[in-house]
Amino acid sequence: MCRAAGLALALSVVAGGAALRAQLPRGSTPHARALLARAESLETQLARRDTLNRRASERQRVARRFGAGDVVVLLGGVADEAVGAKVAAAGAALLDSLGILPVGFVRSRVVVAYDAAGVDSVARAEGLVGRARVLADFGRPVDTLAGGFVLASALVRAYQEGLDSTWRSWAPGGLSLDWKEGREGEAARLDLLTGNERVGARCLAGEISRCALWLGVDRDAHPFRTRYAPDELRRVVASSGWTYGANATAARDCVQGSDDACVRFAESDRVIDATPAGGSARGSLLREIWAVHGRAALGRALADTSGSVAERLARAAGLSEDALLVEWRAWLLTGGGGKRVTAEVADALPVVVFGALLLFAAARSGRWR
Amino acid sequence: MFKEVLKAQWLAARLPVVLLAVLAFALPLLTVTYGGSLENAPTEQVAQWLFAAQRIGLLIPGLALLVGLLLGIGAWAPDHLGKHVYALALPVPRSMYVMLRFAAGATLLAVPVVSVGIGALIATLSVSLPSGLHAYPVQLTVRFALAALVCYAIFFAISIATRRAALAVLGVICGIVLADVLISSLNLRTGMSVAAWVFNLLTTWPGPLAILMGRWALFDV
Repeated sequence: MCRAAGLALALSVVAGGAALRAQLPRGSTPHARALLARAESLETQLARRDTLNRRASERQRVARRFGAGDVVVLLGGVADEAVGAKVAAAGAALLDSLGILPVGFVRSRVVVAYDAAGVDSVARAEGLVGRARVLADFGRPVDTLAGGFVLASALVRAYQEGLDSTWRSWAPGGLSLDWKEGREGEAARLDLLTGNERVGARCLAGEISRCALWLGVDRDAHPFRTRYAPDELRRVVASSGWTYGANATAARDCVQGSDDACVRFAESDRVIDATPAGGSARGSLLREIWAVHGRAALGRALADTSGSVAERLARAAGLSEDALLVEWRAWLLTGGGGKRVTAEVADALPVVVFGALLLFAAARSGRWR
Repeated sequence: MFKEVLKAQWLAARLPVVLLAVLAFALPLLTVTYGGSLENAPTEQVAQWLFAAQRIGLLIPGLALLVGLLLGIGAWAPDHLGKHVYALALPVPRSMYVMLRFAAGATLLAVPVVSVGIGALIATLSVSLPSGLHAYPVQLTVRFALAALVCYAIFFAISIATRRAALAVLGVICGIVLADVLISSLNLRTGMSVAAWVFNLLTTWPGPLAILMGRWALFDV
């Protein structure tokens, strides 16, 4: 036994040596051997330095706890206490302005920076073990305003991911922290005004039942049959060249004129979104509830788990589904509730007053005085 | 007296007034010609058409500004040319003369305003609107009149202003720009802008220029 072990050890030493020697060509000079040894030594030094750097970096990235209200975040590599505090405060303020995340949800989460080191030990020390972790990329260096946005976005995203399947499938990323009428509102409006789907055009023309189809807020067993016209599906299939793969037959039949094949292809392949309206348009419906009926209404709708999206939103707003869609359509088309062209006394009054002031000023002084 | 001033002003400004009237008549009609009548149009066309109405609506306050500018400056052009001798020779107080000039210019404003009204009315009558959409020819015309009037008053006053008043206005503008430069150079990261604040003040109700803002679409929800 002892002899066998000794033999194995001797073999491993010889094999190791052979491997090292094999790097040199036959008949190599002492100078070449010295160069190789030097290279190996440098390589070892570099590896050691890398290890030291890594350790130093880890020490720098050790997580630190920052909080504001119920919001808690673990950031790594933040030397300045004030920066972390500002990130937490900015995130809390953004969440507060959105105002739909339940307090219990925020209290049960801790946002953790991707690159933070030693998170487990810090979480234990800070009593955050019971909180679910939400990862977020704060970048480097951590910026106070951008960091706050990242923090709030991570919590909103986590909240959306925790909603029931109806919400998740209807509005992935539909909650926007910084909705801007000129950006998201304009995108949603353009989607409705210039979209290719017939249901969208008819919604725009005032057929409210089509708005429900376009937004996909109804609960429909065959969305591709009701929300799209066959030629719209055919156009998508033909332009995309999906005449291969598992549904190649359906795709080919669709292109050749079979309406059923188009629906079959869309239902099985899922390359076409079941909701004609884009994300910005769907988000606009949520934003309309938020802006017109209040953040609490949107919070109630998101917490609701029964019925279609339209039913949930209508219940939360205290309106019928049709009334809600009429309201949304007007809200979207008027640029976030902006009034249509008006000519009222309130419009005329500043004009008359200002005009009179200017006339008075002109009459009092002039060039020929 | 008013008749004579109006006649003199009309003779001096008739070409721009007629051109503006043609433009004002055509602009609302563009909304219809872009998308055509919706009588037998496919529903998709409604989308294009409403989109066009909104885009063309953006041009109407621009036209009001142009009308105000040309007629406001034009009101004093003959006086500037004649070194104000005609005005000084008249047996009326200066303030009365200014009022007459203003009233004559404001009367000439009626020409493009009526043109907008006729154009908007024809555009409205030429289409059958789908449910949920409405036409606002009267509101558009009255709003155009108010916007043109405020622009006219501004340029009328600027035209006759003394050098001191012009310098004061220029000084205020320079002060605003300087304040913004100072704020940005201090790197306060407040995102504050004096120019934006002043602009907001002027263009948000009850600011005098709020009439130029908002929506101007002839066809809307």
